[in-house]
Amino acid sequence: MELRAVIDERPRADTRVVESCQQGDREAFRLLFETHKDKVYSIALYFFGGDEALAGDITQQVFLKLFTRISQFRHQSEFTTWLYRLTTNTCIDEQRKRRRFSPLPDTLAATGGAHNNSGAGVPAAEARFMRREMADSVRDAILTLKPKLRIAILLKYFEELSYEEIAAVLNCSKGTVASRLNRGHRILAQRLGHLRAGVLSGD
Amino acid sequence: MFGQHVKHELTAYAHGELSAPESSRVAAHLKACERCRREFAEITHAIRLAASLTLRSAPANLWDNIEAALAQASSEQQQTERAPQKTTTQEKTSRRATQEKTSRRSQPSGWQVGRLSDWFSGWRPALAASLILLVMLCAGGAWFYLRSTRTTWEVARLAGAPLIDAARITSTGRLGIGEWLETDANSRAQIKVANIGQVEVDPGTRIRLVETRLTEHRLELARGRMHATIYAPPRLFFVDTPSAVAADLGCAYTLEVDDGGRGLLHVTSGWVAFETHERESIVPAGASCITEPGAGPGTPFFADASQIFLDALSKFDFAGGGADSLRAILAEARQRDTLTLWHLLARVEGDERARVYERLAALAPPPAGVTRAGVLQLDDKMLANWKTDMEPTWLTESMPDMRRVWRKLWSDSSAPRLLKRAKDQLK
Repeated sequence: MELRAVIDERPRADTRVVESCQQGDREAFRLLFETHKDKVYSIALYFFGGDEALAGDITQQVFLKLFTRISQFRHQSEFTTWLYRLTTNTCIDEQRKRRRFSPLPDTLAATGGAHNNSGAGVPAAEARFMRREMADSVRDAILTLKPKLRIAILLKYFEELSYEEIAAVLNCSKGTVASRLNRGHRILAQRLGHLRAGVLSGD
Repeated sequence: MFGQHVKHELTAYAHGELSAPESSRVAAHLKACERCRREFAEITHAIRLAASLTLRSAPANLWDNIEAALAQASSEQQQTERAPQKTTTQEKTSRRATQEKTSRRSQPSGWQVGRLSDWFSGWRPALAASLILLVMLCAGGAWFYLRSTRTTWEVARLAGAPLIDAARITSTGRLGIGEWLETDANSRAQIKVANIGQVEVDPGTRIRLVETRLTEHRLELARGRMHATIYAPPRLFFVDTPSAVAADLGCAYTLEVDDGGRGLLHVTSGWVAFETHERESIVPAGASCITEPGAGPGTPFFADASQIFLDALSKFDFAGGGADSLRAILAEARQRDTLTLWHLLARVEGDERARVYERLAALAPPPAGVTRAGVLQLDDKMLANWKTDMEPTWLTESMPDMRRVWRKLWSDSSAPRLLKRAKDQLK
């Protein structure tokens, strides 16, 4: 309970909890997990197009790696940078593994008009249904992005990280992050053009 | 004062990530340039959509899995600590720094992640020495216990006299990494797979423990038959066979390998991926898949399909059946055989793929968003959506007891005859 009270003062609180973890404090492990699990899970979920089982698996892998390597964490960087680097690497490794085993090639370009038939043809559906459709379309469009663009977008919107923080997680320059996000958004805009009316009315 | 177009800076501008002078320049340009304004509207449209994504809650049971895995890792770590440690000066220095931070803290409970020496920093030497002695005694006992339990799997004799590395086991034994468990014609055994499930080993089987660690548990089935029941996240338990790897996706299944290295997988619950580096077959509950050396896993099928279908599929997968076999497969396919047709999409090309698509679409019309052009280009998202749409028709029908069928099949190892026998048993 004591730890629960300080967790909101991140990142300083993260540092304290990590130190407790490094001493083997079980409650601290649990707290760290509870604090970050939903974000890790959501990134993995959207990275893999809504595959809940896989996202759960990735989340588990991330925290297992995190906890078994926690003694190596030296506080030279933000804990969250380390956590989301682990998340990113685990997602990208899994993506590579899947591509290696899958006989199905990546055909990004072919999906451009995939939703032109589905969303626009529904005239007066309920607002909730429309929102659901929209969320599914956004999720699907994100899945069509190359992994490097995809992860930058997910880090931006789920972690609300600055470009500098994303650069630290991805181990690249701030300019590269800006470029990836710009490319990612332009592709999303192209693929989600049919949702323009939905977004406007949804607001 | 029109200046250079700003389309590369628009997202950073919208996110407020540009410096003040850059931001002013972009703003001024947008006022003057219709083209960049249109571009900016597109970017903000994408930003609003992406920002609308909502955080999702992780499943409630994740922590239990992590806790169990950590407990195991902690035990394994304690075990390795008994081995001579090669510690670099840098590590020692760093550890000392950590000790200074932690020495005043209360003794930790739960998993022991740090090193034993950390816990005693700053204590008076005499007390420390006696405690170290005590800990060494405890650790020695723990090492002995862990060595006998953690990197070995418990094996229970179910019948006859199973052997572990040629040594007969009585009621129970332990299977270590690299050791073979063998059953003769009258023996059966059960292996406890770490803390994630169990494997029942039938007579006439030779099976080896390849690896057991936090993220991977792996057996090798050289010949014979095993029934696995696994309660773990996907891709934690694997079984190597001579021509494919069975990767558990959360399930129960039977796997057998004959003397020629051919394998037969039948899934009774959940899903199994039967794979090599080149090819993957996703096999749901009720379905089967054959693998052959040199060819890898064939196309998954339901053994209650028509005899013509099964014969043609066998020829197609393993005997170069080609166009004739494909024609027969398509003509004979029922709605449930869409499992087979879906896998075939990626295994044929050109006109043949178009024919598979047409037949598949006739049996299970593609859902919204799945287009003919996309499927013919093997768009993975569309294929996945279509598969999800078809899955209920694969999973709902009940299947006969395939284990009984297989006992009959075991005397016959060739794939076409396996299929024929499977079919006969289902009549």
